[in-house]
Amino acid sequence: MAKIIVVTSGKGGVGKTTSSAAISTGLALAGHKTVVIDFDVGLRNLDLIMGCERRVVYDFVNVINKEATLKQALIKDKRTDNLFILPASQTRDKDALTIDGVQAVLNELKEDFDFIICDSPAGIEQGAQMALYFADEAIVVTNPEVSSVRDSDRILGILQSKSLRAEQGKPVKEHLLLTRYNPLRVESAEMLSVADVEEILAIPLLGVIPESEAVLKASNQGQPVILDLEANAGQAYSDAVRRLLGETIEHRFLEAEKKGFFKRLLGGK
Amino acid sequence: MTDTCFRMKGTTLTSIVLEVIDFDPDTFESQLAEKINSAPQFFTRSSLILHLVKLLSATEFELLVALCRRFKLQPMAVRGEVGALRSVINDLGLADVSQSKFTESSLKTTKPESTALKEQAANEPAASSPVPTPAAATKPVKVISRPVRSGQQVYAEGGDLVITAAVSEGAEVLADGNIHVYGTLRGRALAGVKGNVHARVFCQSLDAELISIAGQFIMHETVKASCWKQPAQIYLEEDTLHIEPIA
Ligand SMILES: Nc1ncnc2c1ncn2[C@@H]1O[C@H](COP(=O)(O)OP(=O)(O)O)[C@@H](O)[C@H]1O
Ligand SMILES: [Mg+2]
Repeated sequence: MAKIIVVTSGKGGVGKTTSSAAISTGLALAGHKTVVIDFDVGLRNLDLIMGCERRVVYDFVNVINKEATLKQALIKDKRTDNLFILPASQTRDKDALTIDGVQAVLNELKEDFDFIICDSPAGIEQGAQMALYFADEAIVVTNPEVSSVRDSDRILGILQSKSLRAEQGKPVKEHLLLTRYNPLRVESAEMLSVADVEEILAIPLLGVIPESEAVLKASNQGQPVILDLEANAGQAYSDAVRRLLGETIEHRFLEAEKKGFFKRLLGGK
Repeated sequence: MTDTCFRMKGTTLTSIVLEVIDFDPDTFESQLAEKINSAPQFFTRSSLILHLVKLLSATEFELLVALCRRFKLQPMAVRGEVGALRSVINDLGLADVSQSKFTESSLKTTKPESTALKEQAANEPAASSPVPTPAAATKPVKVISRPVRSGQQVYAEGGDLVITAAVSEGAEVLADGNIHVYGTLRGRALAGVKGNVHARVFCQSLDAELISIAGQFIMHETVKASCWKQPAQIYLEEDTLHIEPIA
């Protein structure tokens, strides 16, 4: 039975699309047939991060409107087996997605896939609610700052009250993914610590992704950062995927690197 | 400025009903003294309805009222066997409410009660008192075991609200009765929203944006000044909210 996982946050620019791309790639690498859907109608970012923007012919809205079949719209990833992308449409019409239409597409995907990853748009309105409505699990992407934590808290409230599962009295399983984590800025109290965020949101921690230049590099190359085995951000995503699949692994990259440039600069006598 | 000098409104009021079953001045006085000593603060300046089960003479009735006043009770109305007492009742500045409708409940004080006293229940208790308020035997309690998140609102109508998790900043919890939060209270908590001045807010860790009891409220700045991030209770006394640590 396919699992539907929404990647959501409330706030924009926190790393939902980056995380959706990395996690779906990681699941596929682990041998699970995975599809990642871009719910961000109008922005269409996921195909860029996945490096398949030139291969987009039909999109999610075309499938809902029966202008194309799922088979025609799904893009098979070039690098990773078992991985498919369903791109968003460029249309400005925010109401292009309907509950019935989304449900029909998800039901069809459930037949073939192990994991369905939904990359949510920002906000807590219609678009974000559509992306989370059918979710079995939610990865709540949060940056270590007050406004992002507050928005994550709001989206958790919506998951508990406005999702299909909530309506059926079966809670959505929640995961906290803390991204763009910068231990140096935590030490200087410019950012919240892992413990601070965990204390406020009170949901299990799936992973901590460090702030890393490798992320920007990866998205410029159209290659999910999880494929960059050198980068700590890539490794942190790999760990998160393994935890999502049930493994227990210690969290890494929570402390500033001892031999880091800044440490030497600041601590050198 | 408006020209209006007053406004008339309806209200409900909880008061004590004193049922007078028998009236021998000496016995009555000693029994009343005993009852009042069981919970002095509760009875002091309590408004009182005299319910005459026994028909009294005008002299007996005047004596009864005087006795009550000596014990700092404040008779304000009379019902029951009012009969020929109408003019005395009037002269003493009391109201004859023998034609009115009443809802009643038993009175709970610290000691077992005598048969002489009964209490009348309503939404608005008459006066604040530091001893437990008389309450209906079973009030519904709403129990929430998940965090109340920003943007969410939970209301316990007609009773207490118990939350065994945190209340986030931007969340709002309300109850007609008390509110208990066995977690951090970061949002807004409004107890006694229908005017129960005896309602209280209890929490494991106090970091609230706003606390209100029966419409009186304090904001985060004031909340921060005492018991910040500590276990605390908040209650209303003489129109002021008090924050007190709980051990
Ligand atoms: N761990 C990270 N380190 C550095 N930059 C990051 C990281 N995660 C995301 N970013 C950057 O943040 C921006 C927003 O990321 P994106 O995934 O598009 O967020 P969202 O989908 O939530 O709007 C992008 O420029 C991305 O490269
Ligand atoms: Mg995005």
